[in-house]
Amino acid sequence: MNSVSLRFSGAIIVSILLALFLILLPWSDNLLRWRPEWVALTLIYWCLVLPDKISLLLAWFAGLFVDVIYGTILGQHALGMILVVFMSIRLLPRLSPGSLWHQYLLISLVLGTYFLINLWIMSATGSNPATWAYWLPLLSSLIIWPVYRWVLHLFHIERSRFGEF
Amino acid sequence: MNDIIDGDSHSSLLLKFMILVAISATIMVFDYRDTILQPVRTSLRTAIYPLQYVVDVPVRMVSYLSDYFADHKKMAAENKQLRSMVNVYAARNQKYHSIASENIRLRHQLNAIPAVKERFLLAEVLAVSGNIFRRKVTINRGANEDIYSGQVVISGKNIYGQIDSIAPDSAEIMQITDPAHAIHVLNDRTKMGALAVGTGKTNLVELKNIEANVDIKEGDIYVSSGLGQLYPANFPVAVVSSIAYNSGDSFMKVMARTLTDFSHTREVLAIWQTKKAAGVIEKPESQLKKNKKTPTVNDQADKKKH
Repeated sequence: MNSVSLRFSGAIIVSILLALFLILLPWSDNLLRWRPEWVALTLIYWCLVLPDKISLLLAWFAGLFVDVIYGTILGQHALGMILVVFMSIRLLPRLSPGSLWHQYLLISLVLGTYFLINLWIMSATGSNPATWAYWLPLLSSLIIWPVYRWVLHLFHIERSRFGEF
Repeated sequence: MNDIIDGDSHSSLLLKFMILVAISATIMVFDYRDTILQPVRTSLRTAIYPLQYVVDVPVRMVSYLSDYFADHKKMAAENKQLRSMVNVYAARNQKYHSIASENIRLRHQLNAIPAVKERFLLAEVLAVSGNIFRRKVTINRGANEDIYSGQVVISGKNIYGQIDSIAPDSAEIMQITDPAHAIHVLNDRTKMGALAVGTGKTNLVELKNIEANVDIKEGDIYVSSGLGQLYPANFPVAVVSSIAYNSGDSFMKVMARTLTDFSHTREVLAIWQTKKAAGVIEKPESQLKKNKKTPTVNDQADKKKH
């Protein structure tokens, strides 16, 4: 059994800051359509690796910051983020977290719900995107996942323990 | 794994989840219906500002370096040109002063309300909103420079948008192409009114409420009407790019290209309009002292409700 520990205390917060940084990067409009959901991906990653270290409150605050950056109504992405964490933690026992295909399944389920909830809230508050381009970030999140997973793996240490069975 | 502990942690997770969902829903309702969460948004913006600044550093560096290493000759030529332009403008300004004083005298004689006096502040666009379906940008000026919510922003001689939310050192502008934005405009040729509503697409607004029998053609320029007292009158807004009419509809579908090129504008001007007459006029000073949005009649007329 492998034991996973954070490389330094606060690594989760730093990784979320990295995700916010990635959101803020100035891309052109065409690339912006393809921007993955960095913060949600980060939260899913920590749910997979260290499910007991991730807290709903942290996800909620990260979501609030996303709301401010995106200019959406306060609480929309906060709700989305806690949904992401909650669903990931609840679905985790039904999957094998190490397998890439299981991870893909989890991400498509969780992010799909996340986007759907966001779409409902946006429609209810009168800023419906009304275009299929809304779903492109879901696709790009799945595409970027293997790379981003590798980047995030730098934030923790994995130690094999042979003594335990 | 101990089943009891597992079940227990799950139910506590569910409880936390439900509480946070309830809080999220509550603040969403409040943020949608009211402006009391504006200070929260402002403080969150302030917290995120350093990150935003760091992201913008490379862009600044590039522009700084390209300025620094710009060809000396080119710079000298530019300098010369600018000097001559300053002379031209100084002459024009002189003329303007005499006209302005004449205007004040004439208005005095007519007993009319003194005209609008304006103060400008140049601001730089720092970042584009993360939400690609909205049209908002962040500028590097904020409450510290007396920027207030609802303030008009222009670019060159065209209307750019209005200040949406503010933080001490930054502010968010809602461009006129934002889907939640509307501005009343007049056809410069026929003086017929219309409502220019943002489409969420770059440089494109839709002109609403234009009846099928109205005289309008491609290339017509629409200027701000000044109705609603938010935007100054007679600033060019958009030029008609396409007109479509489906028989049976009561209005035409008219699209117009904005005269501001939003994809290339990096500097904008914030305006303070102060009218010296007493009575009808709102006081921006009192608004910015309170430092929060006080919804006025103007806001509601010029800004579409969600």
